[in-house]
Amino acid sequence: MTSPERAQLPRLAWHALLAALTVIAAGAAGAGNDDFGGELRLRREQLRGNAQGPLAAGESLSPGVAPPTLSASLAEAELRGVWRAPALDLVRASIFGNALLAAERSDSGAAGSQRTTQARLNEGFVAGDFGAWQASVGKKVVAWDVGYGFRPNDVVQQERRRRLLTTTQEGRPLVEVERFHADASATLVWVNPQNANDTDDASRQGLESALATRTYVRAGSADWHAFARWGEHTRASLGAAVAWVATDELEWHASARIMQRHDAWQFDSSAGNAPVAANPWLQTTLGGAAQALLGASWTGQQQISLLVECWYDGTAPADSDWEAWLSRNRALAAFGTQPGLPSALVSAAGGNLAWQATPFATNNLRRNNVFARLAWQEQRWVLSLDALVTPSDRGRVVTAAVQWQGERLRVNAAWRTYGGPADALFSQLPQSQVGLLAVTLPF
Amino acid sequence: MTNRTSLTLYAATLAFALLGAGGVKDARAASDVASLLAAADRYRSGAGNLQVETEVKVLNRDGSTDKERRYTVFAQVQRKSLVLMRSPAEQGQKVLMLGDDFWLMMPGSQRALRITASQKLLGDASTGDIATLSWADDYTGTLVGEEKCGVQACLHLSLQAASKGVSYQRIELWIGKARSEPIAADLYVHSDKLAKQARFVFDNADAPTTVTEMVLQDRLSNHKETRVRYVSRQAKAVPEAWLNPMFLARNPALE
Repeated sequence: MTSPERAQLPRLAWHALLAALTVIAAGAAGAGNDDFGGELRLRREQLRGNAQGPLAAGESLSPGVAPPTLSASLAEAELRGVWRAPALDLVRASIFGNALLAAERSDSGAAGSQRTTQARLNEGFVAGDFGAWQASVGKKVVAWDVGYGFRPNDVVQQERRRRLLTTTQEGRPLVEVERFHADASATLVWVNPQNANDTDDASRQGLESALATRTYVRAGSADWHAFARWGEHTRASLGAAVAWVATDELEWHASARIMQRHDAWQFDSSAGNAPVAANPWLQTTLGGAAQALLGASWTGQQQISLLVECWYDGTAPADSDWEAWLSRNRALAAFGTQPGLPSALVSAAGGNLAWQATPFATNNLRRNNVFARLAWQEQRWVLSLDALVTPSDRGRVVTAAVQWQGERLRVNAAWRTYGGPADALFSQLPQSQVGLLAVTLPF
Repeated sequence: MTNRTSLTLYAATLAFALLGAGGVKDARAASDVASLLAAADRYRSGAGNLQVETEVKVLNRDGSTDKERRYTVFAQVQRKSLVLMRSPAEQGQKVLMLGDDFWLMMPGSQRALRITASQKLLGDASTGDIATLSWADDYTGTLVGEEKCGVQACLHLSLQAASKGVSYQRIELWIGKARSEPIAADLYVHSDKLAKQARFVFDNADAPTTVTEMVLQDRLSNHKETRVRYVSRQAKAVPEAWLNPMFLARNPALE
């Protein structure tokens, strides 16, 4: 048996186990209390491209190398189901499923309008209820930590925060065991078991096989959490979080994590400021880092609430890295606009500028962040205004949103604008503004 | 001992005796009110641990339905409640109340949020109206006096909130003198403004055993009528794990 064949065995075994469990549980299913439903959703995402930034500069030099992402209309159906098996002496088993069917049609661009369809299993797992012990096997969303804008200790799901529309995320394959007491609980998760023994490069950005634990204790008006994680290539991390209700109106929360290693974008310094033949930005496993968050929320009697958070993310590129990045952008732009430059080299400069957008695909662009959200809720309406600021470059993201909730129908509208000084990272993202309108009908 | 000293001693003894009697009387009055509240609670909550299926309907002034919601409430002893929202508009939301501590789980988050008393009162006030089935646990009261409620004699109790996170800071409650069944209530919010007026509908008007519906008339903002109907009640002590905030992300199996 060759090495690639051996590497596939754990994944195949995992899928076979999942299929077997599903068949067994489905065969035993049929009791009452089954629950089916879902929601239909129409949404429009309106994007306004940014004339600044490396993508725009690259597209300008080499049209087609980084065409702007087009606005799009989407129709989605999210289907949910819970099948509960008849209760046995020792265990009650259930099967949970959540699937997303989506069709997207983008606006007409250079290549015309594009239509895509997608079918995705968000969650599909078998749960066993053994009284104080609980277990789950399958694809599931397991979300931890206490913050709103950032969650350092969300080490299983690793959710991207501050989305314009809250929808069910795609879970991760995992095995989960939990023990519950009255005021405490302990959870052990093996996430991505199918990727065990994968290479580092094949298991980045949430795909790493890892063991994670959470211990929870309720102590009066405070919830305490302790986290530990052992990743196959990122090794150990430890974290803690607390949420404390200080008064009838005020709540504080904090979270911190230290890690032995972390995955991040790293620039191949041998590329310097000149165009190169391959993307010089690579996902790499780097050394130790720390993350921390401190926040508070206040809610008044007039149904107004204010949330303020500040956080530090040591896995984000350092300011010096971004300075080098800016320097390379300027050098590439200057190179590509030299009079008389052969078109191949102009294209190379354009392509390299487009690659400079690679490190944008990260949780936090800057290490230091400040976030504030003001919301007002009245009957069927919720209005909110929030701002994320990166003090080191005075970049900002401002979002205004409104939600109306009817008896069934829900309408969400939001507008987000990115800005700041010309050199601010938020001013150089591919979009300068993003708008959303969504109509959701649950059933 | 001189006559003046004896007189002083006698007066002091009498004063202490009267004060003591007054204290005893206050203690007994408080105990009486607590007993009356407990008796009134039994018409709403019945057994100690309950599963109550509740329907809340908000009516416009013209009688048309403005809003309709369904809830499953697991009301447990020691001021513990788990509320599951069942309506399509709120499907998947859960609220856990353990004494003065509250948690909220929103659908799609898979994570319980610790919330303040003020956050619990955001949006629909129905959560407080339906999850609180015991005045005795959340209020202290004094007996104002005997009054007439229609044709029947009733007792007027004045209740003050003893817990955080209750929807109403003060309640003026009228209960039947003979059977202590709740008849009507004036509900005041923290600003001491009259927010709602409640009346209670029973299974049997002549021999009531259970409140089947609570009708709330809004007096503060929209002047709409809210009907809280207790569709079914059954004794149910939920497993200890269900009242752990971290358990909210799991779907409890309903029996």
